[in-house]
Amino acid sequence: MTGSVLSPGMAALILFGCFFLFMFLRVPVAFALALACLPILAIEPRLDTMNLMQETFNAYNSFILLAVPFFLLTANLMNVGGTTDRLLKLSRAMVGHFPGGLAQINVVLSMFFAGISGSSTADAASQSKIFIDAQTKEGYDLSFSVAITAVSAVLAVIVPPSILMIVWGGILTVSIGALFLAGILPGLLIGLAQMATVHAYAKARGYPTYPRETWRQLLCATWISIPALMTPAIIIGGKIFGWFTATESACIAVLYAGVLSLMVYREMDLKGLYGALLDTGKLAGIALFCVGTASMFGWLLAYYKIPEVILSNVSAWGMGFMATGFFISLVFLVVGCFLDAIPAIIICAPILEPLAKGVQMDPVQFAMIGIVSLAFGLVTPPYGLCLMIACSIAGIRIRDAIRDTFIMLLPMLVILALVIVWPQVSLLLPSLISPEFLR
Amino acid sequence: MSDFQADAPGVWRRFTAAYATLLSWLLAITVALLIIPVSLQIFSRYTELIPAYIWTEEMARFMFIWTIMIGAMIGVRESTHFEVDLLPRLRPRGEAFARLVGRFGVLVAALVFVHAGIEFTRFAWKRTSELADLPLWYIHVAWPVTGVTWLVFLGEQMLGDLKTAFGRIE
Repeated sequence: MTGSVLSPGMAALILFGCFFLFMFLRVPVAFALALACLPILAIEPRLDTMNLMQETFNAYNSFILLAVPFFLLTANLMNVGGTTDRLLKLSRAMVGHFPGGLAQINVVLSMFFAGISGSSTADAASQSKIFIDAQTKEGYDLSFSVAITAVSAVLAVIVPPSILMIVWGGILTVSIGALFLAGILPGLLIGLAQMATVHAYAKARGYPTYPRETWRQLLCATWISIPALMTPAIIIGGKIFGWFTATESACIAVLYAGVLSLMVYREMDLKGLYGALLDTGKLAGIALFCVGTASMFGWLLAYYKIPEVILSNVSAWGMGFMATGFFISLVFLVVGCFLDAIPAIIICAPILEPLAKGVQMDPVQFAMIGIVSLAFGLVTPPYGLCLMIACSIAGIRIRDAIRDTFIMLLPMLVILALVIVWPQVSLLLPSLISPEFLR
Repeated sequence: MSDFQADAPGVWRRFTAAYATLLSWLLAITVALLIIPVSLQIFSRYTELIPAYIWTEEMARFMFIWTIMIGAMIGVRESTHFEVDLLPRLRPRGEAFARLVGRFGVLVAALVFVHAGIEFTRFAWKRTSELADLPLWYIHVAWPVTGVTWLVFLGEQMLGDLKTAFGRIE
């Protein structure tokens, strides 16, 4: 530790202590991260507030993060342009006759949405408006409706395309195409687990169901939705075949959603367009500003080599492959409770990477463990963005929806365990379709 | 809030509202503009219609920075920067007091952004970007502007909270 005034332990105490203190005092998380860095910048003679400016600048000056506003905009254009309505009808024709029909539709629509947009927050915001009110009117419990909407929204970051995969691939230089392929199977499994949960709820509480629609109706709904269903093929295919970079594929998604809204379904007016653009800018600004301050925080952790100190302790435990997988997942689950997923990746993924390498874990499986674990963090309090959004739209407090949320997370935890224990869940599709991406 | 119309806070309130509207338009426009350089980049690679411009990637990144900063400004005005709510719900007076504490934290950050941001801008004064040869301070100036904007919005909000926390309850 040549040249620094503070020891790693001292610096870690100040950084984490200040961060939690400010967070407790209700300073917004993004600002709490910045403020926690200030004492260090003041004490350490080689550092000053210019570092904060430069690090936030470096974080935002990123072509990869540009995918975030693009995916948000894609989602918003789909909503104002009538694409979501078509997919809703298709979902109804597919699963409306299952027990708990409307909640099943909720999950299936989230899957479709996940295949087009890569943002869970956009999914939570739009589906809360569609489903929560409609479900309570049909006799579903309010807390159940909020919980299933929030929990199904997390599919958006697991099913490709996904903002988290793009960020992960950018930071740890893993093939984003391979991550996209790896997310398909875990995503489908989690979707099925959620549908099973809804089924159990519906049987226990007697939730209503819709009459089965005819095959003709199903065919019609599918036919109308084909242009929308093409989107995932374009984005994921374009990425895998190397036609576009990740950010460019997100831009293509925007253009395609725009074409659908303006020319195919023709339901978007100028006011809707302005609303979609503004909404995108607001959400992207808030989410990404936090990435900047989190980068500063992570930069300081690295400056004092705090990760190495922590890791040297952990490596001494001598964990095997399985234990390491569960440990990585646990870290991301805990961190996800307090931080948004992108800052969590920026701070934690580089710290944990040597640990995964140490047990010969495939980088793609490591990424999937991290991303699926962080997806849980989107609905776990105190900082579960999707749950916060769903609750605020429903007008209830988070603690009122917690019980149902946790019940729904239990079957999903089983899938997470599968992802850890059985590498093939993540690696099967990439190894079949594009083995050159692995290793 | 009718008694605010003629006095100074009323003018301030109108100014901040107008400023927020302006920022909203700028934000929507920057988001729309982001699409252009990235699309150009794709189309120039696959068609012969336009040359492969070298500045598209840099242009996109710089506009992206402004998008984030303007979004962060509006986030303070609308109090939508996410916070973790661990405390139980308080009465209006206590709630206003708790908000004041949280906003004080943002205030400190705003002052840092103004102070260090000015130096940051000065630092970039004579430098230009690598690809498009754009003056770098066009971008760096976003930091002090963000800080000042936060101060403007925070002033209004904290004044309101102070009234609720210590004044009569209307």
